[in-house]
Amino acid sequence: MSPIDPRLQEALDGERDPGDLPADLREAHALLIAATQILTATPPVSVAARVMAEIREHPAPVQSESLVRRLIHWLGRPRAVTVRLRPVWTLALAAGLATVLLLPWALNGGGPTPGVAQGIANFVGHFPGARSVEVVGSFNDWSRGVLHLSDNDGDGIWHAKAVLPAGQHEYMFVVDGERWVPDPLAGRYVDDGFGAGQQNSLLIVRPVSAQP
Amino acid sequence: MENRDEAPPGGVTEQVNDGAPDTEVVARVLGGDGEAFGILIRRYEPGLLRFATRMLGNPDAAADAVAESLVRAYRHLAQCRDPGRLRSWLYRITGNRCRSHLARRHMNDISLSDAPPLADGSDAWAVLERSEQVALVERALAALPAEKREAFVLKHVEGMSYEEMAAVTGARIPTLKMRVHRAREALLAALEEVVR
Repeated sequence: MSPIDPRLQEALDGERDPGDLPADLREAHALLIAATQILTATPPVSVAARVMAEIREHPAPVQSESLVRRLIHWLGRPRAVTVRLRPVWTLALAAGLATVLLLPWALNGGGPTPGVAQGIANFVGHFPGARSVEVVGSFNDWSRGVLHLSDNDGDGIWHAKAVLPAGQHEYMFVVDGERWVPDPLAGRYVDDGFGAGQQNSLLIVRPVSAQP
Repeated sequence: MENRDEAPPGGVTEQVNDGAPDTEVVARVLGGDGEAFGILIRRYEPGLLRFATRMLGNPDAAADAVAESLVRAYRHLAQCRDPGRLRSWLYRITGNRCRSHLARRHMNDISLSDAPPLADGSDAWAVLERSEQVALVERALAALPAEKREAFVLKHVEGMSYEEMAAVTGARIPTLKMRVHRAREALLAALEEVVR
């Protein structure tokens, strides 16, 4: 096998008009083009029905909303509500609600409360200048808009805490809604399984019961 | 292989356009409209099948690889970081699946004895029967190492730019150019050996 004349490579790369090639190279060019035309024939089969049947049989909507999530969205949607209360009752109700809601929170140090088989994950990332940072991962079906980090003091260090099931989770940061970056502080990474050598960050959450 | 369906008469046409851009269709699927994934299948299945067939040299294995890849893509659609480049992402998954197939069986396992006998060396390409031309080209392609075969098919059969090929394969553009050049040289040498 001998190297092809660079002019032929250029013509095949669309960088040179094949008509400008010498006769022998034009012939070689035509031969390779004829070969590629043979290869462009599309196989007369379809796997569409098979794939759709598999999808319907095992529906795993990647970001479909669970009942709980739908309820949360329903509760979070603005609605017009008219409540007429006497001012004295309003104050009393507000004080009662504040006591009920804030007391456990304060006793717990202000963070989320994990169950027995859960643990608290701390996400920290340094993204100076970022407008938004969120975490997507295997624990939230890689869904956007669920777990946002915050940078209240504007120092570029973004934080979030979340209660997660104990065990191993893969995750990525999504910066400004479009840039997916692994956590540089994760320490552990796994291949994302889609080839091209991209990696997800790996997080191991220990259950609170196992913590000292 | 299971449940392989025949394509509509005349074969599947390239790049079915159901109007909505990929980003919108992906959003519909992620929003719970699983049936919308059919739009993406119709849009990209022909190219993926062609790519996998050229990579594996076997239509049944290619159909299996593409079906597995599409189901995998559906299940992990939320991990597609740029739905605007869905095509590259689907080719990457399919290419990965093809490499897994190839790792389990060597391309050399493909029976070349099934190919029809070649014409005499003195015959020119134009006088070869179509089936002989197809067999000759497929055999020359199958003889290439998988990386060069992949680069050649993505470039010349799927018509991708080197930038998109880099997104699909994860290889650098100069590396891909070199693979394409070497693949052309090998193919041309194999073809010229017969037709000259």
